[in-house]
Amino acid sequence: MRKLLTNKRFLTVVSLLIILAVIILGSFPGSPLNVVLKPIGAVVNPIQKVVKYTGNSISGFWAALTDGIAIRNENEQLRAEIAELQYQLTQNEEAAIRYEELQEAFHIREVFSNYDIFGASVLSRDSDEWFSVIRAGVGNSDGIYLEQGQSLAVVDVRMNLVGRVIEVNEDDSVILMLLHEGFQVSGKVNAVNGATFIITGDASLKQQGLCLVTGIDPDVIPNVGDEIVTSGEGGLFPQGIPIGVIESVDTSNELNITATLRPYSDIADLNDIFIMVPFDELENMEMLSEEVYETVSTDS
Amino acid sequence: MKRSAQIRKYVVYAVYLLLFSSVQVTFPGFLTLYGLHADLMFIMVVLVAYMFGFWDGIVFGALAGIIRDYFSAPSVTGLDGSVNTAIGIGLFVMVAAAAFGSSFFTVRIERNFILAFVSVVAATLLYKSVGHLVIFLWSQIVPSLVYNLEFSQIFLKSILPQTLLNLYAAVPIYLLLRFIGPYKGGVNPVLIDEKRKGDNSWLTM
Repeated sequence: MRKLLTNKRFLTVVSLLIILAVIILGSFPGSPLNVVLKPIGAVVNPIQKVVKYTGNSISGFWAALTDGIAIRNENEQLRAEIAELQYQLTQNEEAAIRYEELQEAFHIREVFSNYDIFGASVLSRDSDEWFSVIRAGVGNSDGIYLEQGQSLAVVDVRMNLVGRVIEVNEDDSVILMLLHEGFQVSGKVNAVNGATFIITGDASLKQQGLCLVTGIDPDVIPNVGDEIVTSGEGGLFPQGIPIGVIESVDTSNELNITATLRPYSDIADLNDIFIMVPFDELENMEMLSEEVYETVSTDS
Repeated sequence: MKRSAQIRKYVVYAVYLLLFSSVQVTFPGFLTLYGLHADLMFIMVVLVAYMFGFWDGIVFGALAGIIRDYFSAPSVTGLDGSVNTAIGIGLFVMVAAAAFGSSFFTVRIERNFILAFVSVVAATLLYKSVGHLVIFLWSQIVPSLVYNLEFSQIFLKSILPQTLLNLYAAVPIYLLLRFIGPYKGGVNPVLIDEKRKGDNSWLTM
């Protein structure tokens, strides 16, 4: 028996079998095994923050050194551009007034006013082709909860779609990115009565930074360069969030017309994200918190 | 082993573990090819296991796997089409990588620096190949999951670039393990004892 317990092959096989059992148990909804990882955050999060801060400081210092000469030349060019921009500004002011009018007309403001937006910095990114979720520093403690079957849209600083929240922990949220094979959203061409279709992540397009567009009606084929926004169908995401532009269209099979879409959001350059929580969900969360509070009070 | 040497070993391993895992998930733009980046933790685990033996490798691998699961667990499409993070896959991969690294030609051939790099290449090839195979098989079971990569795409845009990146990143990691720690002189004294007992082949690096 002692010999068996010191046999490396035996130990390896047993360890891997135990881990497999852990993976299977952890996959059940509400599995308590997810709680096991929580204490690890207390150790690794501060260190990761120090590494992030140090790395950013070093790259900032290096950039300051190397950019010194370039900045001087750029300064000259910028002076010339300022004059040009001042002219454009007066024209843009006119356009801005027009935009305000259109915004009111299309009720864009009203649509997004139903959502509360939680900002957070990206804590950690993908570590591998398959270990691909990212974590953002906002969670239950900030008032975000995710119930079974719910989905919360995640956008970048320019309000472009980045992905969706798939898990909310005490202090952080796990985000599934737009390019992942499991991601799916209903989109439409950003025009009045624009054609709708399904945008999904695709294993073969992921490395090129592209998404797949399917469910295209042969009578309303999108054009290359068309801007695609969320359609709001299905109720998971609000309508009108910019997703990206059509990069190519494949009409070789009339029964299955597909297109590729290049998302606006640049995952590699993502530092801050915003989670959109509908107001009614916020109300539900508050009710949930109150219920939990009442239960705790009753128990005590 | 002296107490001071043991403390040094634990401290160095802890620093490597936390530093490399943090760097990997904080600066993914570091060493990239075709959207893939060098898997620093994976390389570290294979090299630790190859250079310093089974026990060091398995413990380091398990801890690295847990941290990987915490930082960026893989998202898996379930049978019902819902996507969730799967805890434990990082742990499985890293423990398996450590077991592989510690047994890579270490019984018959003396451990040496060339084979250390070969072990990283072999472990990466195995990991990527098995990973693609598992996802392909899973996509056959899950109706909503489409895995449409062709063999040439898998090889040229996934396996090959990842192997090259890992091989490239293995050079500084090897030097780090060999000359800065966790063991003085880059040699685990336990393995020397094993060699004396005729239990294993020993390394001359």
